[in-house]
Amino acid sequence: MPVRVVESNTPAQVSGTDPGIRSPLQPSSLLGAGQAFSGTQNVSNQQKEEAWRVNVQIQGIDLEHGYLCGTMEALNVPMADTPVITFWEGEIVDGKNYTFYTGKWEATREDDMRHWSKFPSFSPLQGQVESDGGRQLDLNNYPYIFMRWKEQYFVNVGTDCGLTIAGFYYVCFSCSDGSISGFYYDPNSSPFQKLELKTVNEGRSGFSFSSYELQ
Amino acid sequence: MPTTSSSAASSSSSSSSSSSGNRQADVFSRLASSDPEVKLKALREVKNQIIGNRTKKLSFLKLGAIPAIASALSDADDSDKCNNILVQSAAALGSFACGFEAGVQAVLDAGVFPHLLRLLTNPDEKVVDAGARSLRMIFQSNQAPNYDFLQEKNMEFLFSLLNSNNENVSGLGASIIAHACGTSIEQQVLLEAGVLEKLVILLDGSLSQREACLESLATVLKNNPVAVSDFVGFESGRYFDSVTELTKDRYPRTRLLSCLFLVVIYNTSPSYFLNMGTKLRLIKTLLELLNDPGQSGDDAALVFSCLIADKEDLQKLAYEANAIKNIVDILKTGSELQPKRLQGLFLSLAELCSKLEDCRCSFLSLEVLDLMIDALRHKSADVRTAACICFRNAARSVKNLSAGRFTSDRIMLPLVQLLHDPSSSVQVAVIGALSNIVLDFSSPKSTFIEYGGLKQLIELSKSMDPNTRCSALRALRNLMFLADNKRKELFYSDIKAQGFASLISDPDPPVQEQALALLRNLVDGCISSIEFVFDEDGLILDAIGRQLRKDPQAQMAIQGMYVLTNVASGTELHKEVVMQQLFPQEKPGSENFVLKFLQSDESQLRSATVWTIINLTSPSSIGAFDRHVKLRNAGIIPQLKNMVNDACLDVKIRIRTVLGQSMSFGEN
Repeated sequence: MPVRVVESNTPAQVSGTDPGIRSPLQPSSLLGAGQAFSGTQNVSNQQKEEAWRVNVQIQGIDLEHGYLCGTMEALNVPMADTPVITFWEGEIVDGKNYTFYTGKWEATREDDMRHWSKFPSFSPLQGQVESDGGRQLDLNNYPYIFMRWKEQYFVNVGTDCGLTIAGFYYVCFSCSDGSISGFYYDPNSSPFQKLELKTVNEGRSGFSFSSYELQ
Repeated sequence: MPTTSSSAASSSSSSSSSSSGNRQADVFSRLASSDPEVKLKALREVKNQIIGNRTKKLSFLKLGAIPAIASALSDADDSDKCNNILVQSAAALGSFACGFEAGVQAVLDAGVFPHLLRLLTNPDEKVVDAGARSLRMIFQSNQAPNYDFLQEKNMEFLFSLLNSNNENVSGLGASIIAHACGTSIEQQVLLEAGVLEKLVILLDGSLSQREACLESLATVLKNNPVAVSDFVGFESGRYFDSVTELTKDRYPRTRLLSCLFLVVIYNTSPSYFLNMGTKLRLIKTLLELLNDPGQSGDDAALVFSCLIADKEDLQKLAYEANAIKNIVDILKTGSELQPKRLQGLFLSLAELCSKLEDCRCSFLSLEVLDLMIDALRHKSADVRTAACICFRNAARSVKNLSAGRFTSDRIMLPLVQLLHDPSSSVQVAVIGALSNIVLDFSSPKSTFIEYGGLKQLIELSKSMDPNTRCSALRALRNLMFLADNKRKELFYSDIKAQGFASLISDPDPPVQEQALALLRNLVDGCISSIEFVFDEDGLILDAIGRQLRKDPQAQMAIQGMYVLTNVASGTELHKEVVMQQLFPQEKPGSENFVLKFLQSDESQLRSATVWTIINLTSPSSIGAFDRHVKLRNAGIIPQLKNMVNDACLDVKIRIRTVLGQSMSFGEN
């Protein structure tokens, strides 16, 4: 007899919790330092369809402060001779350190809702977020993690390379299979450029994990 | 005791003027004179020369002035005509002991202590004052003799000092408590004898009484919440308010000592400091004191670092009050700062960088690397240690590590050299710093390895001290994070299978844990890396299996299971070898450690174990079904079915992955 797994699609409410005292998110194995992801970013505009291959590596994660960081490598970029690597920092929407509202980077609340609502996994949360910012949501038991990623600097090319890192990504990470989707937001670039990544296992038949410990 | 600067000073003082050398030699003969007037004049001369002059103190010390003065003191009787000699010799000895550790040692070695004590009962107030002041100087030093508070007559004597109307004598009593009370038992004995009531009265006394009182109260209340509560309750908080007011006193030393006292209260009973305004005032007062050129400034830095240690909220307040820039500006003034101040300033910066990324980035943006590198070469071991701790905490910034901020030759070389520092506290601190700095996120070049750091860490991993072994392994683990094959081969060629097997079987569990974490990184990455654990007939894998079967601590088991997970992500052969470790043939029927780990309270261990199973039953591999059957028959799959609603989301998700894989085999 197949095992029926009962799963609620809507995240639980945090009952009786003072919204001021929230805990950070619990660790998720596939969102950890050393994990690598690979896929594409669709950079199509009205003139042409174009997609860049993208590799992402997570270099650090600090759940207590809702912070993570890593590198993003874009391949087959027309303006560049080599792959372009940037370093990015992320904010994890955990209700403690960061909420669904960006509050900076020229993103209004409407921009925020427009982008989050493009993720199917956001729809169960949408009502709550629109009404009170999602302060009652228990994101700790939700199998998706929402983040914003902002590129900070170019690692291997100069700022005159013809590329911009002015915008940021709205990101949704699936805890179960480690897949990542994202939408790039920059008022001066084509809207809704989509990022789609999957975990990379370097030719292995299964998942492998490395780690470090900061002193 | 510093040697280089002092010998230079003494040689320059003796060579600069031969006439002053003659005068010094002449003073000795006059100190030994039987004519009291001549002796008195000589004593005054020495005293006047050495006051506030460290170089002169050292010079006279080397010539043997202290025993000569000690003789003058002990030879003088208590008659009136000797009073001046008593006063001047006590003053001179006190001056030698003031802020000069070598002087304190020499004074104690000369056996003057009982003679100085004798002066306290002299009928002449001036003699009593001189004796008390001199003894107070001694008790302010680290070399102060032990005072046995547990002996009744000592307590009686102490209380007689505290009860005295003479401010120097009562101040001496407070100083003895401040500097000689070291244990909680001594604290308790003093409190039970009613010392708090005696000390608080001194808060209303003279400047020197207030200062002695603040220091001694801090010592007596430290880490004692009941005593703190008693103090705060005295006269409905009047004394607590007084101390808070004293942070605005016009004397810097008083401001510093009242801050020190408040920091002790804060660290013992933080509930008395809920008010943000009070916290901010304390921070700002200490930051201002950092600019004081005297001893108060030297001490303020250490007090500040104690205040903000481990307290993210205070670090944030201090950061917003511009603490980082203020401290860096002081370090950049170019004037030579006392080692104690430098140590305090670097420790303060280290605490500011300990938890907040904004602080680290702000600090590193101020062009501080040269300052830090200079401090690594300072003659004081305490300064070198503090600089290493500062490096360690600044290097917690992954953003700056990734940018290669710490890997230049001019940083790496002095740090690697400090692995051989004669001071063990420096060695411990530099391994901590290097542990973070070697994280270069797969950059191919490693200046650390080029400077021989790898070999040194491997040597340190064989140290007799388990903490050193553990620290060295942690640094190696970080060095091997995302390392390429070349780096891994270089490392492995030095340690080999036997070396690893020994570390995995180390008697110290934290060492085992770090060794396995290191191995985990070694077998990650390119699939050929897995071959390391097969070297010498799988010696390493056997060692892991043995340790996992021995009911290990959770942290070590987590790392062990991740090694197996990583190996099981390889080829069919790799997966089969992992199965052999999970189900060793020679021990059929014994409780399987996989089942035990799945039932652990530690969610990370449950998670790591499920990952191993995920990899073993990954449907893309040929033998997956057979392995699945074996796991099912061993009760492992049924156990997982019982865990579908595990409290930890990550574990729950991984279990569903395994069960999903089971269903793909047509599992019923």
